[in-house]
Amino acid sequence: MNYLRRFSRERQIWLISLPIILWVLVFSYFPMYGLIIAFQNYVPGQTMFGNWVGFDNFIRFFQEPDFWMIMRNTIVISMLNLLIGFPAPIILALLLNEVRNRAFKKTIQSLSYIPYFISWVVVASIAFTLLGNDGIINDLLQRFGFIHNPIQFLGEGKYFWAILTSSNVWKDVGFSSIIYMSAIAGIDREQYEAGKVDGLGRFGLAWHITLPGIRSTIVLLFILALGGILNAGFEQQLLLGSPTTRDYYEVIDTYVYRFGVQFGNYSYGTAVGLMKSLIGLTLVIVANKLSKRYMQTAIF
Amino acid sequence: MNERSTTIPQRLFDIVNVVVLLLFGIIMAYPFLNLLALSLNDGADAARGGIYIFPREFSLDAYKLLLQNDKLLEGFGWSVLRVAVGTVTCLFVTGLLAYIVSIRHFSGRKFMRVLFLVTMYFNGGLIPIYLLMVNLKLTDSFNVYWIPTLISAYYMLLMSSYISELPDALFESARIDGASEMKIYLSLVIPMSLPVFAAVSIYSAVGHWNAWFDVVLYNSSGHFDTLQVYLRRLLLEVEASQQIMDQQLLFQKFKSMTPLTLRAATTIFVTVPILLVYPFLQKYFIGGLTIGSVKG
Repeated sequence: MNYLRRFSRERQIWLISLPIILWVLVFSYFPMYGLIIAFQNYVPGQTMFGNWVGFDNFIRFFQEPDFWMIMRNTIVISMLNLLIGFPAPIILALLLNEVRNRAFKKTIQSLSYIPYFISWVVVASIAFTLLGNDGIINDLLQRFGFIHNPIQFLGEGKYFWAILTSSNVWKDVGFSSIIYMSAIAGIDREQYEAGKVDGLGRFGLAWHITLPGIRSTIVLLFILALGGILNAGFEQQLLLGSPTTRDYYEVIDTYVYRFGVQFGNYSYGTAVGLMKSLIGLTLVIVANKLSKRYMQTAIF
Repeated sequence: MNERSTTIPQRLFDIVNVVVLLLFGIIMAYPFLNLLALSLNDGADAARGGIYIFPREFSLDAYKLLLQNDKLLEGFGWSVLRVAVGTVTCLFVTGLLAYIVSIRHFSGRKFMRVLFLVTMYFNGGLIPIYLLMVNLKLTDSFNVYWIPTLISAYYMLLMSSYISELPDALFESARIDGASEMKIYLSLVIPMSLPVFAAVSIYSAVGHWNAWFDVVLYNSSGHFDTLQVYLRRLLLEVEASQQIMDQQLLFQKFKSMTPLTLRAATTIFVTVPILLVYPFLQKYFIGGLTIGSVKG
């Protein structure tokens, strides 16, 4: 009775909620349920109840001739992003923090955020221009006599990882530094005063106060980055890669798109994607446990 | 840290630091300046190379060609429509949800919050979502640009953290006066939450403007190609040459147009709207980021 009365009082709100709930069930929860086709041999037009094949689709991935190439690319690209892309914004934030001229600092910060807001298509266009036959890179290399003929940077696989990592860093470094800048701003000023009394110079202050002050932010973001280790990027690979560089750009996500969607292997593609998500989830949980034990910091 | 550094290593560090950051700033800005210079240069001349941040032989041909190119204008039209419809609908519905989960006496408040928070961490992945769109007949239609993006859990968090700070008594007295929840939302909540609505609308608009892959995935027919898809095609040399030839046949001019300058001009054309809203972006996104990191 109590519930009924309550419900009738909130009738209006529930009425508004209903279509919203319906939307989220259809667009977010139904696709989660749709993951079961990973264990089937799903053919479009058929219901999602028949043709169970167990783990066949998962096993098939391991037996693919391309399996090692895809895993290598995914892990190498992620590792490069982690090794270079993760510390870059921290270094940028530390350097910016040492700038005394506010106008200069603001200008550099403003410039550094712009690439984050442009599309990957535009970034690809920039890469094509800078790395083209008469782009600045070939131009400088020729002018200084390192090479005699322009290099087809985007046509050769051996350059792909470097190009991809540079593009990722260029696009994200400024924006990612914001969170470290605000963490640095949150450090107690008195600590710096105390440090100065103790005779610390600027390097000492940066090393003994600023860095420890943002340690927990670094650890949290690192755990999240570990969880995304199999997210090696997607649009950038499709836009910067070409058939001649496939051996270097194909990662799990692009493989799921190509084999799953374009070739219509829906069940197989779903299985590969699901496996990737489960590994990512496991990595976050393990990293979180380790950081809770050794660094006393955790995201959950 | 406002005292002047006295030791030589520290002063040296200051100089090195400024030089390094200056170089960094140049790396960030140069690609845009280079594209601008190329787009404003004569095509045949640009093909000789050596253009950096100033055009050598000034020419507006590339932009003239753009403005007469039906495919580009059509792409621009779809992009603008997508941004407008996608942003307005997302803002209205997500804002409504944010209001509902901020009503203190609403018994389903927690349930609704959790229902959406879960979607921030789990999703069905590329293929189940793709199959859903196919089954709902959303592929090959304009609707795929706004229906799947109606609600964002992240925006809900941003908006509800703002709305729940508003004085509750105001809504309560409106309720007593017999105003419906929808009326309260429209005539009280929205006008009082304009800053957060503005911030979210800019995020959403930039997202819609930049979207590329969902167009490729769902609207491969080419009937609803946005500007980003058009630019992507120009990255392929053959396609760019073809576009130029078509225009040359049509208008008997643009003799010295090259794929390089056409691509540069199109890239600038696609980027300028982002740069126009950039001051607003900068004003709002830092606040949004910090709220997100606390609540998320």
